[in-house]
Amino acid sequence: MSPLSPRTRSRAAGAVVAAVLALGVGVLPSIASAAGLAGRTTGTGSVTTGTWGVTAAVTSMSFNTNTAQSTAVTNTGTVASSAESFVVTVSKPFFFTPTMTVFECPVPWVGTTCSGGPGTPVGGTLTAGTTTTVTSTTGLAPGASFYLEVVPAGVFILTTTVTLTPEVTSPGQLRPPVRTNQ
Amino acid sequence: MSPHRHTRKKTRSTGRLAVTGLLVTSAALLATAGVYAGLSATATGAESVSTGSLDLTLAPDVGVGFSNFTGKLAPGDTDNVYVNLKNTGTLASAAGMTLAVAGNPVTALTSGSVAGEGLTVSATQCSVAWTLATGTCTGTTTPILTTTLASALAAPVALSNIPALAAATGQVAHVQVTLGLVANETSTNGVAPAATVQGLSTTLTYTFTEQQRTGVATNQ
Repeated sequence: MSPLSPRTRSRAAGAVVAAVLALGVGVLPSIASAAGLAGRTTGTGSVTTGTWGVTAAVTSMSFNTNTAQSTAVTNTGTVASSAESFVVTVSKPFFFTPTMTVFECPVPWVGTTCSGGPGTPVGGTLTAGTTTTVTSTTGLAPGASFYLEVVPAGVFILTTTVTLTPEVTSPGQLRPPVRTNQ
Repeated sequence: MSPHRHTRKKTRSTGRLAVTGLLVTSAALLATAGVYAGLSATATGAESVSTGSLDLTLAPDVGVGFSNFTGKLAPGDTDNVYVNLKNTGTLASAAGMTLAVAGNPVTALTSGSVAGEGLTVSATQCSVAWTLATGTCTGTTTPILTTTLASALAAPVALSNIPALAAATGQVAHVQVTLGLVANETSTNGVAPAATVQGLSTTLTYTFTEQQRTGVATNQ
């Protein structure tokens, strides 16, 4: 074996010191963590969250006359709603300022009658050129529907457009919370 | 003769000397050991020891315990399960326990990706077994975890008011664990927001951990 040069010996010594230090660093935490016992237990359970929301079959209506138009509103979520809001925008024609009124009915409208009656107003009178949020407090089970009708009033020379955007906000517009014990 | 040859010869000579020295020293040591072998004396003492164990078990208190929630959880809903935490080991635990909750798969329900929304967990201890039908405690209740987003329980969180919770050997803690959902979301024309907790599923793993009591020094 050839004798080691001083430089090689120095490198070897450095390597030994580094190895000892690394061993110490690795061993010390193990000793520390092994200082006590821990008891551990686990339990599992799965959960799925619901969805909420309603859709309007027709979200845009054009009016050239005083003829009312209707749309179905259906709960397409998996959680019942307790109320639904509708953002209603009425465009402003160049001539005149017609108004709109929204009514709801639990069954499909027949003309302007709801089961022989006028239906239930949702919000007040809406003026052309405004955007208003109206709210129905009718609860809808998943898959259930009610029917809105927009009744125009005033003079129509040019087309007035009404857009309906239904919204459901949690938790306020959902069914009351349910408490389950199992 | 070249200078290299001279150096090699010198090295060989030094090596022979070292080997001879080692042999002489070894012989001397062996001889000394032989002298003392006849004079050794031995004393023995015996002591037995058993180690303790620290075991924490989980079982239903009333009802089915941790299980699947079969409905569709809505914001504000709560699902209560009732479990017993029992120290079945032979060692008392230290006054303290942690709870961690992990979701699999990781979704917005447990990741905290939708600010302020997601599953929540709370826990309450009852001094006696819970009444399943009403979800009430006829004894004394002690809140041990206030309503906390599951995303904040990814790392173990210390439960509060723990000193009496499964601390002594054989002691049972009757715990109601409540799962809830927090969500403030508006769905527009039936469409949920882009960041939502609606329509998600996950399996939650609840991990309770306790530590052993402080070590005891005995003099006898």
